[in-house]
Amino acid sequence: MLVNAYAKKIFNLAYQFSGSYEAAQDLSQDIFLKLHNSLPKYDFSKNFTAWLLTLSRNYLIDHYRKTKWEKQSRDEFNEHLLPSDSLSGPEQILQKQETKRFVWEGFNGLSSEIRMAVILRDIQGKKYEEIAEIMSLPLGTVKSRVNRGRLQLAKILKDKKEKSHEHRL
Amino acid sequence: MNIDYDCEHMEELLSPYLENELDAQQKQAVYEHLQACPDCSQLLTCMQETREALADFPEVELSPELLDQLQVMPKKRKWMKLRPSLDFFLRPSLQPVLAAITIFLTLLSFYLFHPHRSQINKSVNRTLHMGYSKIERLYAKAESFTSSLAGHKDSILVSLKNLDLLGGDED
Repeated sequence: MLVNAYAKKIFNLAYQFSGSYEAAQDLSQDIFLKLHNSLPKYDFSKNFTAWLLTLSRNYLIDHYRKTKWEKQSRDEFNEHLLPSDSLSGPEQILQKQETKRFVWEGFNGLSSEIRMAVILRDIQGKKYEEIAEIMSLPLGTVKSRVNRGRLQLAKILKDKKEKSHEHRL
Repeated sequence: MNIDYDCEHMEELLSPYLENELDAQQKQAVYEHLQACPDCSQLLTCMQETREALADFPEVELSPELLDQLQVMPKKRKWMKLRPSLDFFLRPSLQPVLAAITIFLTLLSFYLFHPHRSQINKSVNRTLHMGYSKIERLYAKAESFTSSLAGHKDSILVSLKNLDLLGGDED
């Protein structure tokens, strides 16, 4: 039951964070193993989803620090990340794909803490208060990290777009 | 009072501006800066596009294999709890000792539960006694051999010295 309810959420968090489908599979298993071991310590007065995301976040960041994923490249931009809307024209779809690819690759340049904050806010659409609870940080720090992450990604996107434009000319 | 932001300060305000978290005065000041600064304006567009791209990342589906593995995990966990104790017994260096203990225990159980245990005792006693007396006889023979060897010691040494093989004639 626990797996049916939360497996997809945890797998997606691991995938977005690590950028590797294969690594996300291993990480999801590790997180669920940790979850089973930590369940006796769960405080029933707390929000379970937030507690599980905190556990996942801690595991992912610890693992990242130990293995230094920044040296590894993310998966190639692939079919998992194609735009979901089919209403746009072919040119718009191509443009969106290019932007997504740049952003996806740009994630590698973010530190683990900033990357996690951006994922929770902009990909998973969590409120700042929820992220503060998950990451055990003050609200202001969370906002600052999300802003820094967005700014870094926007600068990477701007730079890549300029280079891409120059290349076309 | 009019606020005048520089580009560095603007970087901190772009995200709250997009999320409509600034007060009216700050918002107006950011708007005015953006109208006058193409660099910051372009950065804002890129930030907006970044946010849209991130929000559009679809949820990835799990492979059925992973789902199966996650389902069996609680059972695996029980097995893993026993693993530290089992690991100790599965160590290769311990295998000969365990084999010897197994053989010893099999023989012991055979002896303890045999219906004619007293006969086995008698037979073992007899065998041990015979073995002991054989050893005694052998020891006595060895003693007599060493004493007879002492009597012929000189003649043996002389004959050994005279042997060509030992170079007895060379001197």
